[in-house]
Amino acid sequence: MAVDPMDTIGRNFPRVDAYERVTGKATYTRDIKLPGMLYARILRSTVPHAMIRRIDTSKAEALPGVRAVITHKTHKIVYGSGSISGGRQYSDAHKDITTRLRYTFNEHVRYVGEPVAAVAAVNRHIAEEALQLIEIEYDALPFVLEPENARKPGAPEIWPGGNIAHDSENRQQAIGSRRGNLEAGFAAADQIFEDRYTTQFVQDAQMEPRSALAHWEGEKLILQTPTQGVSNCRHDMARDLGLEDHQVQVICQYMGGGFGDKNGNYYFDLIAAALAKDLGVPVMVELSRKDDWLGTHGRWPTVQDFKVGVKNDGTLTAIQLQALSGMGPYLRRSGNISGMDVYACENTERSILPVHTNRMVSGNFRAPTYPQGYFALQSMLDDVAYKVGVDPVQFALKNMVRPTESIQFTNYALDQCIEQGAELFDWANRWKPVPGSGEGPIKRGAGMAFMMFNARVGASSAILRVNSAGRYTVYVGVTDIGPGAKTTMSLLAAETLGVPLSAVDIVWGDSDRCPYSVGESGSRTTTMTGYAVVEAARDLKRQIAEHGMPTGEDVLVASATPAPTTGNKLREGFGAHFAEVEVDTHLGHVRVTKYLTVHESGRILNPLPANDQIRGAVLQGIGQALHEDLLYDSNNGHPLTSGYYWARHLTHLDAPVIENTFIETDDGFGPYGAKTVGESGIIIAPAAVANAVFNAIGHRMKELPITCAKILEVVA
Amino acid sequence: MKNAPDTEFSRRKFIEGSGAAIVAAKATSVTAQERAEESGHQTAVEDVPRTPITLTVNGSERRIEAEDRWTLAELLRDHLGLTGTRIGCNRGECGACTVLLDGEPAYSCSTLAVWADGRSVQTVEGLEKNGQVTKLQQAFIDYNAPQCGFCTAGQLMSATALLQRNPTPTAQQIREALAGNLCRCSNYNAIVEAVQAAAATGGA
Repeated sequence: MAVDPMDTIGRNFPRVDAYERVTGKATYTRDIKLPGMLYARILRSTVPHAMIRRIDTSKAEALPGVRAVITHKTHKIVYGSGSISGGRQYSDAHKDITTRLRYTFNEHVRYVGEPVAAVAAVNRHIAEEALQLIEIEYDALPFVLEPENARKPGAPEIWPGGNIAHDSENRQQAIGSRRGNLEAGFAAADQIFEDRYTTQFVQDAQMEPRSALAHWEGEKLILQTPTQGVSNCRHDMARDLGLEDHQVQVICQYMGGGFGDKNGNYYFDLIAAALAKDLGVPVMVELSRKDDWLGTHGRWPTVQDFKVGVKNDGTLTAIQLQALSGMGPYLRRSGNISGMDVYACENTERSILPVHTNRMVSGNFRAPTYPQGYFALQSMLDDVAYKVGVDPVQFALKNMVRPTESIQFTNYALDQCIEQGAELFDWANRWKPVPGSGEGPIKRGAGMAFMMFNARVGASSAILRVNSAGRYTVYVGVTDIGPGAKTTMSLLAAETLGVPLSAVDIVWGDSDRCPYSVGESGSRTTTMTGYAVVEAARDLKRQIAEHGMPTGEDVLVASATPAPTTGNKLREGFGAHFAEVEVDTHLGHVRVTKYLTVHESGRILNPLPANDQIRGAVLQGIGQALHEDLLYDSNNGHPLTSGYYWARHLTHLDAPVIENTFIETDDGFGPYGAKTVGESGIIIAPAAVANAVFNAIGHRMKELPITCAKILEVVA
Repeated sequence: MKNAPDTEFSRRKFIEGSGAAIVAAKATSVTAQERAEESGHQTAVEDVPRTPITLTVNGSERRIEAEDRWTLAELLRDHLGLTGTRIGCNRGECGACTVLLDGEPAYSCSTLAVWADGRSVQTVEGLEKNGQVTKLQQAFIDYNAPQCGFCTAGQLMSATALLQRNPTPTAQQIREALAGNLCRCSNYNAIVEAVQAAAATGGA
C-alpha cells in the first residue's frame, strides 16, 4: 500500500521557524510590550459554591498605581465560548435560548478558581497587591464534587432545574447512540459481564501560562492572545462584545502549546478588552500557573458502567455503556465518550449524561472524547477476552470494525496496523497467557489496544501570491500550536507549485491578514486548511501558465475555499499500540519498558514532526494512565493537586522511548492523501498501558490514574 | 521524581546566592528609562526598595538598580529585553526559565535578581555567536526538539551545561540532567536525540 514518492512532500524538513524557536526570538504573547501598557490580574473565588453578598473594591482602587478594578457589578459580559454555544463552529443560536448563561464575572460563583474581579495597574506587582485588598463576603451554598452525587435527588442545585447539563435546546437528556437490538444481543450471548471503570480530570497544562493583550483603535479591538483559532476567537469576541467581526482583529504568532479548547475566546480575553476599552490604553492580562490550572479546563472525568455479551468463541453480541461525565459547573463542551465504533458488534448502546459539579470546568483536551472512552471500553473488553480465553490480539481481529456494505471507508488499514504491530512488538513472546505469572517481585507484562479516528475533510481557506521576484507567499489563518502547521502549509504550496521550500514565505495567525481557517483543533489543519493551500496553489500555477510570471510591481493572487466531502464514506485514521511494563509489586511503581505503535494516517507529509506528534501524544497518554490527577478536598471543595508538581507530570526520567511506524496510504482525499496525526497518538495509550499492567500483575486496574497506592492495594 | 541533579543544584545555588555581596553602582540608562516610562502614568507610585547591582549578562556588564522583589527572570524579560527566557510556572516546577548562573543551570523564576549581583548570567540569547547557532541549537533544529517551543530555552540551557561538564553523556545521563525541564508537548524522545546528536558532533 506504499504511496508514490513526491518531490518535496515525504522528506524530513525542519520547521520553517525552527531558528526562532531555538534562539529565543519567537515572540509569545507575554513577550509583547506596547507603549503605556497596563498589567491586569484576576481575583478568583476561594469557595466552591456561593452567592457574593458583598464585594468592596475601594481599598484596591485607592492603592497608588491601580487604574481600574472591575467585578460583576461593573461589567456584565456574557462569556459565550464558555458554553456549548461558543464559536461559529458550534451553535450561535444557543446563546439566545440558553437559561444557563455564563458571564465573565458571576455573582453566583460555582467553583474554586472562578473569576470574581480583575485589577489593572501600572505593573504586575501593584496589580497583585491590589487583589489582596478586595474584600468579598460570600453566602456559602452547599456544594457537590462527584457526578454520581450531583445527579441524586436533593443534591445541591448548581443550576435551577438540577445538575444534568442542558443540550443546545435546553433539554436534560443523555447523549450517545444506539445500534441494533441490545436485548437480542444479550439473549444471543453465552456469557454476560458487567463492570465499572472511571477516569480522572486531566489538565491540558500547556507550558505557556495564558495572557491576553488588548488595545483599541477607535471602535476596533486588537487582541493578541494564545488561541488555536484566530477566526473563531474573533467571532466569539465580536459576539460577546456586541461588535461586528470586522471590528475585531485577533493575532497569535507563537503560542506555548495548545492541546484543545483554545479554538475560540476565553474570559480573560474579554477582561483585557473591557479594561483596555475603559482605560483607553493597552492592557495585558496575565494568568499565573495556578490561575491557568484552575481557571481554564481539562479532560472531563467519567464514570462508565458496562454490560457486555459475548459468545464462548469470543464474538461480541452486545455492548452497553451507561456513563456520567463531570463537566464542572459550566457546559463548555459535549461530555461525550467515544470508542464503540471501532467494534463491529451489531448491538450497542452508549448513553452518557453530562453532569454539573462544583469542580473546575471540563473541556476539550487532545482527542476530547477518546482516551477516557478507549481506556474504559478496551480495558473492559480486554478483560472479557481473558475470561473467554482468547488472546487479546485475536479478540481484536475477531471483533474490530471492518468495511461492510453499510460501513464504507475511503480506505481501511486497521487489520494491518494490528498485525504489523503484533509482529514488530513480538507479541507472541512478550504477552503472558497467564496474567501475573512472572517470577519475583518485579512483574512484567504486555498489553495492546487499537483505534480509529476521524480524518474528515471540510471547508477552509487559503490565499497564495507570487511577485515578480519569484517569491511565493501563503496566507493561512493557522497559529502553529506545536505540530508545525506553518511548515506543513509551506510544504504543500512548494510541492504543488513545483518550487523549493525556500521560495515560500508564510503569513499566519492574524485574522485581518489571513483568510478564514477552521483553526487548529480536531486535527483539521492539514486535512482542511492544507487542502485549501493545495487548491490555491493549483489555481496560481494555472494563472502563471496562462499569464507568465508577474513583472515589475505586479503580483498574481489565487484564493481557494474548497469544501470537499467523502460522500457516504467514512474517512478514518487507524492505529494499534503495544506496551510492555514492569510493575514493582513491593513499591507499586509501573515502568513502561517498551512501547510500539503502528499508525495509518494517510500520506505522511513531513515524517520528522509527524513522528514526534505520535511520540509526544503517547507520552501524554502514559501520563494520563499512570500519573496525572486533580484531587479535591471533599470537606471544603478545594483542589489539592493543581500544578505540574502535584499532578505529577511526566519528566524526562519518566518518558520511555516510543517506537512508531507509519503505514502510508493515499485514499485520494485531503492534501495528497494526508490524514490526521496530531490527536491519534493519545487515544489508546492509557488502554494499552492498563492492559499491560493487568497482564503483569493479574489484577484489573479500573480507575485512572494507576498510581503506586492503587497497585499496592491489590497486590499486597 | 523532581529531585533531579540540576534542580537540586539550582536550589543550593538559590540559597548560596542570598548571601551574595551587594555592590553599589550608579543607576543606568535602563533604570532611567524604566522610570521615565512609569512617570508617564504615575507620580511616585511606590516607594519600593531597590538595590544597585552589577552582573554580566551574555558577556556584557550590566548595572541595574533592581527592585528587591524582582526575580532574575523578571529582570531579564521586562527590564533587559531578553524575553527568550520563558516563565512557565514562576514557582520552580517546570524549568522553562532555566538560565546559566556562573555556568550552572538555575531556575531564574526562583532566583532574586539581587542575588545575581557580581555573577555571570547566560540566557538562550547568549548561545548564538557571530550569527552562528551552537551545535546543540543546530541539533535541536535538525531533530525537531521544539514543538510549541516554550520549554526550549530551558532545555537548551540545561543541556549546554551538561555538555560542558560531560561531552559524551549517555541517554540516561541526558534524561537525568534535563529532569528539571518539563515539556508538556512531551517531546522528550526528540530532545534526548538532539542532545545525543550534538554530543556526537563534538560539543555544546
